[in-house]
Amino acid sequence: MAAQRIAAPRKVAGFGIALGVLAFWLTLPPFTLRSLAAPLVLGITACLFGVAALIQHERKLGGFAVAAGVLGIAAGAWALSVNSDTLNNVLTAGLLASTLRFATPLAFAALGGIFSERSGVVNIGLEGMMLFGAFFAVWGSLWSGSWVVGLLMAMLFGGLLALIHAFFSIHLRADQIVSGFAVNLLALGLTGYLFSAIYTNGISATDVSRVPQVELHWLGNVPAVGTFLQNVFGDLNLLVWLMFFAVILTYVVLFKTAIGLRIRSVGEHPRAADTVGISVYGIRYAAVIVSGVLAALGGAFLSIGFTGTFEKNMTAGRGFIALAAVIFGKWRPGWAFVATLLFGFGFALAGPLQREANISANLISTVPYVLTLIAVAGLIGRSIPPAADGRPYVKQ
Amino acid sequence: MSTVAPPVEPEQEGHSRLERVWEGASGAFVPLAATVLAFLIGGLVVLITGHNPLEAYRAIFNGAGFNWFFPWVQGSERALAANRLQQTLNETIPLILTALAVAFAFRCGLFNIGGQGQYWVGFLASLWIGTHLHGLNRPTHVALGLLAGILGGAVWGGIAGLLRATVGAHEVITTIMLNWIAIWGGQWLVEQGGPMQGPIPSLPRSSIIDESAKLWTIWGKIPGLALHAGLFIAIGALVVYWLILSRTTLGFEVRAVGFNPDAAAYSGIPVRRSYFLALAIAGAFAGVAGAVNLMGVKYTVDTSDFGSTVAFTGIAVALLGRNKPVGIFFAALLFAGLDTGTSTRSLDSSILDPELATDLATIIQALVIFFVGADLLIRYVWGWRARLRVRPVARKEAAAP
Amino acid sequence: MSEAPLLELRGITKRFPGIVANDDVAFELGRREVHALLGENGAGKSTLMNVLYGLYQPDEGEILMNGKPVSIRSPRDAINLGIGMVHQHFMLIPVMTVAENIVLAAEPTTGGVFLDYDAAVERVQQIARTFNFAIDPRARVENIGVGQQQRVEILKALYRAADILILDEPTAVLTPQETRELFGILRSLVNEGMSVIFISHKLKEVLEIADRITVLRRGKVIETLPRAGATTETLARLMVGREVLLRVEKGPSEPGEALLRVEGLRASDDRGLEAVRDVSFEVRGGEIVGLAGIDGNGQTELVEALTGLRKPDAGRVLIQDRDVTGRGPRASFDAGEGHIPEDRHRRGLVLDFTLAENIALHDYRDEPDSRWGWLFPNRLVRRARRLLKEFDVRGGGPQTLALALSGGNQQKIVIAREIDGDPRVLVSAQPTRGLDVGAIEFVHRRLVEERDEGRAVLLVSLELDEILSLSDRVLVIYEGRIVAEFGPDATDEELGIAMTGGAHEEVA
Repeated sequence: MAAQRIAAPRKVAGFGIALGVLAFWLTLPPFTLRSLAAPLVLGITACLFGVAALIQHERKLGGFAVAAGVLGIAAGAWALSVNSDTLNNVLTAGLLASTLRFATPLAFAALGGIFSERSGVVNIGLEGMMLFGAFFAVWGSLWSGSWVVGLLMAMLFGGLLALIHAFFSIHLRADQIVSGFAVNLLALGLTGYLFSAIYTNGISATDVSRVPQVELHWLGNVPAVGTFLQNVFGDLNLLVWLMFFAVILTYVVLFKTAIGLRIRSVGEHPRAADTVGISVYGIRYAAVIVSGVLAALGGAFLSIGFTGTFEKNMTAGRGFIALAAVIFGKWRPGWAFVATLLFGFGFALAGPLQREANISANLISTVPYVLTLIAVAGLIGRSIPPAADGRPYVKQ
Repeated sequence: MSTVAPPVEPEQEGHSRLERVWEGASGAFVPLAATVLAFLIGGLVVLITGHNPLEAYRAIFNGAGFNWFFPWVQGSERALAANRLQQTLNETIPLILTALAVAFAFRCGLFNIGGQGQYWVGFLASLWIGTHLHGLNRPTHVALGLLAGILGGAVWGGIAGLLRATVGAHEVITTIMLNWIAIWGGQWLVEQGGPMQGPIPSLPRSSIIDESAKLWTIWGKIPGLALHAGLFIAIGALVVYWLILSRTTLGFEVRAVGFNPDAAAYSGIPVRRSYFLALAIAGAFAGVAGAVNLMGVKYTVDTSDFGSTVAFTGIAVALLGRNKPVGIFFAALLFAGLDTGTSTRSLDSSILDPELATDLATIIQALVIFFVGADLLIRYVWGWRARLRVRPVARKEAAAP
Repeated sequence: MSEAPLLELRGITKRFPGIVANDDVAFELGRREVHALLGENGAGKSTLMNVLYGLYQPDEGEILMNGKPVSIRSPRDAINLGIGMVHQHFMLIPVMTVAENIVLAAEPTTGGVFLDYDAAVERVQQIARTFNFAIDPRARVENIGVGQQQRVEILKALYRAADILILDEPTAVLTPQETRELFGILRSLVNEGMSVIFISHKLKEVLEIADRITVLRRGKVIETLPRAGATTETLARLMVGREVLLRVEKGPSEPGEALLRVEGLRASDDRGLEAVRDVSFEVRGGEIVGLAGIDGNGQTELVEALTGLRKPDAGRVLIQDRDVTGRGPRASFDAGEGHIPEDRHRRGLVLDFTLAENIALHDYRDEPDSRWGWLFPNRLVRRARRLLKEFDVRGGGPQTLALALSGGNQQKIVIAREIDGDPRVLVSAQPTRGLDVGAIEFVHRRLVEERDEGRAVLLVSLELDEILSLSDRVLVIYEGRIVAEFGPDATDEELGIAMTGGAHEEVA
């Protein structure tokens, strides 16, 4: 019987990790179990599963399972010590909706980063491309009166900026990090300059045609979890849904299509791709431009999807968090998306934590960056990038 | 197993050998050409938005006080230029130091974008010394302040260095994250109710440092505007930078690791320790920048100051100066001039709105980085011009019967 | 009455900065023939084939197929013309599967967009069956052996309906058994109507497989001759242009004490797999011990373990009776070991450093180069000047950057540095890789000199000739174990058999 349970050590460990997470999660809204029994039982079981996996030499995951079990109990106990009202006020369904909103620009940029890096071009200019998207979305929206044009302008200019990065990195074989950095600086300067020059009196949010929300009232009618679903998914911006779609599309394109195979080959071994007739430069250009377009969409969400206006440097480092999400997600769209959810959660917590626990907003603002630091510090194991990532290709 | 080969290009050797020999010969050529090109394009941007670029550039030049060097400038105009030049030089000081923070790390093959965070940590550490220690004489207080700056910056840089050395976390990401943590953290420290807030509860500002913690002024009358002794510190830092790299075993190791970590490891050079030390020392330079700015100009800080981008400009300075002491000095001077020349205080707003001008300066910086980073482009342009010279000869030969 | 040859290269000239890689080369390929292209390293063989395959554009000359001129501007053109190439360094993507690698850029798709992986697997299996090879299309390339990987390369060409197959130094990485299998495959391909161009510098193999042989030297065609009547001596003379001295002059060795002792060494490679399995041997002062083996049998990891670059899992390494196991490269140096690394650009030199700095790479921390962390550059320069003269290094002075020197002179710097450290043990791995004949002679002479001074020399090399001509004793490594030991008069056959595990395989 014990032998049966020890069957597949990785699965066992995985299950253990899940139980540990559950131990904590059940003490939170919407379940808000208030007895210590639940986390204790679940946590101990998680530890046992972890030990079982460890016996089978599954050291890493087994260790995580045991850690998850212990942490689950500790975190569960802590949650129990907090007033349940506070918990309910902070961890609302609204928080999850908020998480999605914060995650959206990150996810778009991260997807862009994945395309670029999978083709072998490091793109730290995501931040600048996002900023471009934010500005030109508002600009387009203002002169045309339509958010569609705003989005198109964002995509156009994001792509153009990416083209510059592509040209310098691919054709001129400049250091890709320096080029990306210069892109950010250029975007900062240009958007600032244009903003001051064109909109000398600022932009009033009411003038800007914004991307509409998608209202799904019927969600409330779903049995049992209806209110929860309604609160989280019922009133999200169109761009958020577009983002979900983009995640799936990116996965499909990269891993299920012929062109995706070629993109990845160029990022792993450009010489090999060249010798079978693939245009390494062509693919890299395309991938970098796509990354600019996607990052710009993320920026567009910030301006015409969320705030309705533009501020200088409104991206505030999000492009870099997106990059961290790419690394965290090991260059896979699904996992990068999970990472952006995590970081988005960090951002989303800032407001409620400030209100409820009276913690300084400034201090809370450091949280996403600390999380990113921890993530990049390798808590998720060695991240292996595409083999030719960052190396300029010399064609003869 | 070893023939699923690493994508090593045998042809690239000859190619890059040529490139490198070219580079040695060009020396200052690329940075100069890059700067000129950047200013040209910047001028175009100015033109497009309806202003006169020559006028704009002249206004910026005067705004920076560089016209003080012209002997025909006299009287009150000269005095004004002197004030502006003092400010430009005050700007140059932290730019030199933050550029060294980038350059030193570069020599070890690391891209230290964390100068801003390291600057702030050094600044804040020095601030603590300046506001919490009393009754010291000036040399001691200043020395302690500098020391705090060095240590603070070194620690902040060292974190990234440690992460790179132990788990291989890429310093570009870690230093950027550390930047933001320092900025938000700093804001928290001096916000209303924050631990380092000053005596006025309604102002999110720190106390002012003691008189004894302020640096001596060396040119000009008004503390905070006059040129301060930090200039000597900056120049001293340039010398220290050069000395470490060319005259110490540590510098030897840093350079070896920067050029070829495999060969360095093979020779017994502790590569990971070098990564850590390089970032820590780089951080120290930036920390000194913070300390010097505090003790020479700012004397205090409030939450709105944290938008400073001095260390990012430092990156541009290091790139333009090609990580060499002399280059860094002049590049710092250039960018400081761009900065003060476009400030509201100094720029004649009838010619160009200062806010526009500041962004223009950013655009020029970005262009400089692009062009310096893409030296191939410069060589392309150079090669194109060489070809132009050949064509007329060919036409002559063809014309001959 | 002759029809136009299948393929003809006329007057091909290709120049690179400072060198003419191909100089007015004429080459012909008939139907159903194996035509070998023979020459030393750097003779221009690979360049010529890269021109044919569209990776390079010739400066002069033309290519004709079936008598008609064709333009090959890229590999795609070459592939369309039915030319397939198996490169010396495989152009395979390790993290992708065999099937993915083969169909890349010519993928079977559903709806023109989605990759039809099952169809790809099916097609690969079909082709493999036709030509009788065994291959698992779903395996990841990084997990299959070298011989298999080469088959994947061949399959890539076959999948694209190649009529002409170019193989660039295909046997460099194969065991003799795999080589025989390859030749069997080539013969069956020729029977099915293909033509093969076989690039090599190995005389014996060329004589075994080729119908015609073209010899290149320094970019020029020296001669094209049929196999019948060609011998190793004539070919060698054509390749090199003079009588090749196959053995170095050396006196008998007078071995003393064991200066390098390896006991029960175990080490794993980068992937965590066991690469060195319970290796024990010793090298005495005054002798050269050669370590022979096919690339990939653990030599690299063994050398790394001996020089402190890799921490062994078990066992001991003793240099002059001092235990340096797993204590890093510095400890090995301090104990008296010198190391000529197999990859001088990666491990041996810092190309952007001056010659003086490179020479100081091990000693910079000690007096007189430095004191308490303070460096004295002029002392470095002085030492460099002395060594440059002693080792007759050409191409620059102490302040010249290492990258400006030729390969041979760079290797001299490495050797100079190592020997100047007065090591009692010298570990040299592939010391003559990529060097021209003059440099090779220098290195060989120097190694013998060191032996005569009483040092213990371990020579790890993939070139059997080098091992046989220099060694006093030869050890053979196979799959991480020392499987045989021979005296200086071992034959190629004996070594070859040991290098493949002692299995004595006859091909039917």
